[in-house]
Amino acid sequence: MLDPVMFTGGVYKHDLVTELIEDLGGYLLQKNVTQSEVILLMLVPHQDMPVLQALTKELKGKLERAPLAGTEIAVVTPTLAIHHLPHPACDVAEYLRRNGAKSNMIGMGRGVAREIAQIDEYETALINEHDAVVFTFGNFADCILKKEHLYRTLTIPVIVTGGPEMKKEDLPYAFEYVANVGRIAHRSRKATEIGSLDNIIAAVGRALDSVRAQISKDPLTTTPPRVMEVVREQVPDVTASLSPLPIALNLNGLRIKLPFEEYHEAVEGVTFDEGVTLGEIAKVMPSRMKSYILVRILPTSETGFVV
Amino acid sequence: MEMDPLEVFEIQMPGEDYGADKYREIIMDILQDLGLIRSIGRLYVYVNIDTPYFAVLGMIRGKQPPLRVRDVGDLVPTEGGYQITVEDEEHMASLIRVLWGAFGREKVEQPDRNVLVVLSDRSPEELVVADLETEFRRDLMDALVRIAPEGFRNRRNEMGKDGFFFLAAEETITPELIAEAKEKIGGMQNA
Repeated sequence: MLDPVMFTGGVYKHDLVTELIEDLGGYLLQKNVTQSEVILLMLVPHQDMPVLQALTKELKGKLERAPLAGTEIAVVTPTLAIHHLPHPACDVAEYLRRNGAKSNMIGMGRGVAREIAQIDEYETALINEHDAVVFTFGNFADCILKKEHLYRTLTIPVIVTGGPEMKKEDLPYAFEYVANVGRIAHRSRKATEIGSLDNIIAAVGRALDSVRAQISKDPLTTTPPRVMEVVREQVPDVTASLSPLPIALNLNGLRIKLPFEEYHEAVEGVTFDEGVTLGEIAKVMPSRMKSYILVRILPTSETGFVV
Repeated sequence: MEMDPLEVFEIQMPGEDYGADKYREIIMDILQDLGLIRSIGRLYVYVNIDTPYFAVLGMIRGKQPPLRVRDVGDLVPTEGGYQITVEDEEHMASLIRVLWGAFGREKVEQPDRNVLVVLSDRSPEELVVADLETEFRRDLMDALVRIAPEGFRNRRNEMGKDGFFFLAAEETITPELIAEAKEKIGGMQNA
């Protein structure tokens, strides 16, 4: 069992943490250095947590549980205009990030209005590459009801947020509905607003658990963090990628931020200690996001083994 | 007509009570951001979500006089001209542009960041630097476009001397729609 945690502390001696994680058999998912501070997002074996806690105390750092670590969540706004951004969409995205998720903001091309709102095939496919999605809608109950077709075709769990209280049965295609978010023209700072953000995190957590439960019925051939480790070792160019997160983890695979045309063969050829290549246990395909590589690990029922 | 800042502010959205409360907040936030609250006396908002349309009627408090050179800086006569010392740099760019226009570029010097010297025996005191009234109306238009829900892309705007009427709708705006919106807002005014 791996625990997702976030370490915040000084840059000085933080390599002791990364070395310890390596020794314990955990994974370093993300490292963000901001001037003299460093934020490490990690997966640590549950039974070894006290060791890490002791080291954190020694380094005077902070260790927090990051329940959404290792997932990618989309935050979708009807457009990128001032009406929907920066509040509250950025608040939602930032809050997801603080809880360890990689959040991507997506502004729809034609998501506005009640009668003319639409989603196209590209947007649907792009959103479906994530583990869960948060749709930020407005303050009119009528509009929230009529915009259902925007997310009806999505295959991942959809968290709908909006202003008014709505009945769950009125939104059958949404995984959950979170009220009291809606359209606001100021930053979320009141206790009630922050509370609504916490509700979104909780709802996303439940959505991810439902995906995990689905996956556990037919487990993946290997875990995404393990693939990440070998790709980092055997395709070293990925460490030179300028993206803040060169390899983004999903629950059922990962996104490698290298051009597909140049690197997909190298990624498919990555070999595990057991002798199998990534191409044999996963689908390596072009991502809808830029020209990145999308890896989807095949379930045990298709490969017949676990590595 | 004497009015207090935002002495009347009414919103009606039949069937959308939550929306009405929230839009009150949004409108206050946006007017505050753009510094318009003090210039608006009365505001009536009516939204019909079935049609749908978004209508605003507002009364403007008083008229703002144009900003002249004497309002933006200290003017002192010097040798061969006038020196203007500007405290607030907000209007510096338009001030220089106006002086250039009136005296020509070669007659205007800027020895220091906040000091301008005009080489002329004619005083620049009365030159108009900024037309605050036009600026206010432009900001007001910007605020209304920001306030109306984004999907309401067909807009109509009537700016009068001491008031304005704004209508935004999803479908084409017809004379009947305008008449309906005005009637609803008239009802709010008389209530």
